Amino acid sequence: MQEQLKQALDFANYKQTFSIQKKVLKEKNAAKLTFGFQGGLFHINQTLLTFVEILILKGRTTSVVLLDSNQNPILIPNLEEFRDEIFSRYFEATNEYFEADQNLKKSRSVEKLLAQ
Amino acid sequence: MTKGILIYAHNNRSVDYALMSIVAGGLAKKQLQVPASLVTDQSTVDWMHESKIYDKAQEVFENIIIVPRPPANNYRRLHDGAEYSTVTFMNGNRYSAWKQTPYDRTLMIDADFFIFSKTLGEYWDVDHDILIGESINDIYDNNRLGYCDRYISEVGTKLYWATTVMFTKNSYTKLFFDLVQIILDNYQYFADTYRFDSKQYRNDVAFSIAKHILDGFENIDTVCLPPVLTLLDKDILHDVDQDKLTVLVSHKLDANFCAATLKDTDIHIMNKQSIVRHISKLMDLV
Repeated sequence: MQEQLKQALDFANYKQTFSIQKKVLKEKNAAKLTFGFQGGLFHINQTLLTFVEILILKGRTTSVVLLDSNQNPILIPNLEEFRDEIFSRYFEATNEYFEADQNLKKSRSVEKLLAQ
Repeated sequence: MTKGILIYAHNNRSVDYALMSIVAGGLAKKQLQVPASLVTDQSTVDWMHESKIYDKAQEVFENIIIVPRPPANNYRRLHDGAEYSTVTFMNGNRYSAWKQTPYDRTLMIDADFFIFSKTLGEYWDVDHDILIGESINDIYDNNRLGYCDRYISEVGTKLYWATTVMFTKNSYTKLFFDLVQIILDNYQYFADTYRFDSKQYRNDVAFSIAKHILDGFENIDTVCLPPVLTLLDKDILHDVDQDKLTVLVSHKLDANFCAATLKDTDIHIMNKQSIVRHISKLMDLV
């Protein structure tokens, strides 16, 4: 009984550390997906990526007005350059997030979590 | 447009803010690639000479601006994990940031806010005259926070966190900082109006009220700096290993802790004594 209780408490301790590490990773990813451009602030997400790609497919590539994350209109002089930048940032951030998340999942003790 | 960091540091008998400001300024400079300036007082500068950190301060800060020492009439309970002491602190001159800053666009940060990422650099060109930290973001869980960490009082307006403030020097922001001074000078009046406890002057409260007034007495969703990721003062900075910080988090705000690590993330460390314990390793990062 004592051993089972100890195991449960150890696991609880592990989960607390895991939760903080996971939260910090999420914050870091969200921060990396924040993009200041032309006086606006964009949170790069699937909606923005898709919308920008559709506009380019429709031939709208220069002097396009987009609403930023605060719903302010921002003039984008060259949408293709903007697209390249947000795609690059998105994949850099999410690949890094994926790798760190995988390492976190593989770490099955507090010591291993802290070693990440 | 010139851009730069501004940090205030006025030492008291318990906390060496000047020492922390060197780390905060050095890290901010390194990450954001802009110069930094320090606002301090003569007695703090004398201590910097005595403790032989003045040369390092000169290396980190392009300007060391000496102003009169603010009155030491503010008290706070400063925790170091489960232990605590009551100390004076001098934070009543942030309104002067508009006048003191040598930059057109300034990021003002607290001396215990350490920048380990480039995130705030995305906000330099955001088309808003003043941006304040949106809220506190507890590293463990926002359930550890009380209502008065989110609002200035039980019936008051939203509380912004002046740990990070970015502003452009213009006539609107002059109005803002003048108003912060008026709030400071008439703190009891504003405490009665906004129904908060006036026992301790808080810049967060003064900045939040100034914003509320200049927004037309409305709670308006405006552009803010990101929520301030915070290690509360009942938590402990346990170790610094290169740029990885190991922290002990008191999940129930008692004497029991769980461990975690931080890397490449901006962090506000409220346990100042634990910063000072690791200051030489932190200095190495600058």
